[in-house]
Amino acid sequence: MRLDMSPLASTLIREITDRPQQFHELVDAHREVPWPDFLRAWGELRRAEILNRDDDGNYLIREANAAS
Amino acid sequence: MKKSFRDFLADLDAAGELGRYRVPVDVRDVSALCAQSRQASLFDTLKDYPGWRLAGALLTTRKRLALAMDCAEDEVARRFEEGLGRLIEPVIVEDAPCQQVVITGDAIDLAAIPYPMMHLFDGGPYLSGTFVVSKDPEFGRNCGSYRLMYRSPNETGIDLVSPSDMRLYYQRRLDQGKPLEIAVAIGCHPYEMLAASYKAPIDLDEYWVAGGLHGSPVPLAKCKTVDLEVPADAELVLEGELLPIGWTADEGPFGEFSQISGDVKWNPVFRVKCITHRRDPIFYLLQMPWENDWLAAPVTEAAGLRALRNASVQPVDIRAPVGSCGYWTLIASIRKRPGEGKNALLALLSVAEVKLAIVTDEDIDIHNPDDLDWAMTFRVQADRDLIVVQGARGKHIDPSIKSWELGKGGLPTTAKLGIDATIPEGVPKKLYRRIRVYGQDRVKPEEYR
Repeated sequence: MRLDMSPLASTLIREITDRPQQFHELVDAHREVPWPDFLRAWGELRRAEILNRDDDGNYLIREANAAS
Repeated sequence: MKKSFRDFLADLDAAGELGRYRVPVDVRDVSALCAQSRQASLFDTLKDYPGWRLAGALLTTRKRLALAMDCAEDEVARRFEEGLGRLIEPVIVEDAPCQQVVITGDAIDLAAIPYPMMHLFDGGPYLSGTFVVSKDPEFGRNCGSYRLMYRSPNETGIDLVSPSDMRLYYQRRLDQGKPLEIAVAIGCHPYEMLAASYKAPIDLDEYWVAGGLHGSPVPLAKCKTVDLEVPADAELVLEGELLPIGWTADEGPFGEFSQISGDVKWNPVFRVKCITHRRDPIFYLLQMPWENDWLAAPVTEAAGLRALRNASVQPVDIRAPVGSCGYWTLIASIRKRPGEGKNALLALLSVAEVKLAIVTDEDIDIHNPDDLDWAMTFRVQADRDLIVVQGARGKHIDPSIKSWELGKGGLPTTAKLGIDATIPEGVPKKLYRRIRVYGQDRVKPEEYR
């Protein structure tokens, strides 16, 4: 878990690290979270600049950050 | 009196075209509900967004577009053209409804507005029904519509890959290493959205076009943090700037108006500096692809009519079929003089990214596919009546142009095809005399039953 991130953001990082994911898969996995909270957590990943994309639109964690 | 977004909702309601949802709805599910509704949708309560309502899929039929334009369905192109012919200057007003609530600094939080999930393969939640304003010191004010993908509480992606005036404005600022200020209004009347869709000459302010469509000036509010103006009666406004980073940030996929899911693009980032909205805002979800396609059709058709008239060709009817997303194909019937079948094709193929144009004589009903096929079968010789233009301006979302072979920020080209389905010069019209059954007008079946 990254200390500077919320628990949900850390969970999202772990899920994307486990395997590349479509955005909707991440949304589906956290339907119990209020939508504004999910969006704020997603914003933490964006601000950390750790996201990458593949040709199919999946989200990946950049190699250098995967172990953070 | 200029009509607002709320006036249009009231018009839809009065016409029985607005479906109401009273039970609180999760914003993740509004697009799915809109897509399954035969009516336009209005959600009175949104889970986790107290005080907000949401309207969506307002223009998913030509009938509702005609309602917005206060005309018959087959008159929308001429109605749009009429608006273009009477440009009206906007006016600045004080105490704008869109600025009843002002949010700046650390309080900016895009997660606090009902940012909807739209399509399965989208790269994130999207704002789709936007009216985006920018300015250039040489060319003046520009209004367009651009999708905005949620990135963080104060940043969005923006699709700026296609050629547009705002792309040019951004490039000019980027060359100086400076950001481009923009303002994004959401919840505007369809006339503003149509004006934003119109590819106006670069020195024509789309607010004047919207005024012409309304028949009265569009009231504008000066933005709080950028040197721009927005429709005063909008529901929500985002002010900020496109960062001078070029086409470097991932954006998309998004359910395109081409009815295709699209792919990941590389685009600039929009940083929000101020959010303003009404006290009781109604968010607008523009449902892709149909709402976009029906907005595109009259704009493309009106541009086609103008192009024909500028070429001194007399149009009788015109159609931008929904199968071409109201954008890529134009079919026109004309009152032809010798050679004008080809002149008409050249004119129609000059319109935006139209890549297929078909021209017929006035006796063909271009809304009847069988009639059109008949004309293309018996009035066309492939070695004489086809025009192919190579290397014209294209649009990324057409997969057949292989835009993935371009570099980041690269612009695609396309080939264009014109089919002259008018009676060829030198072929007597009498050879096309249609079959008529003997006695058809005189003999009545009911008299023999």
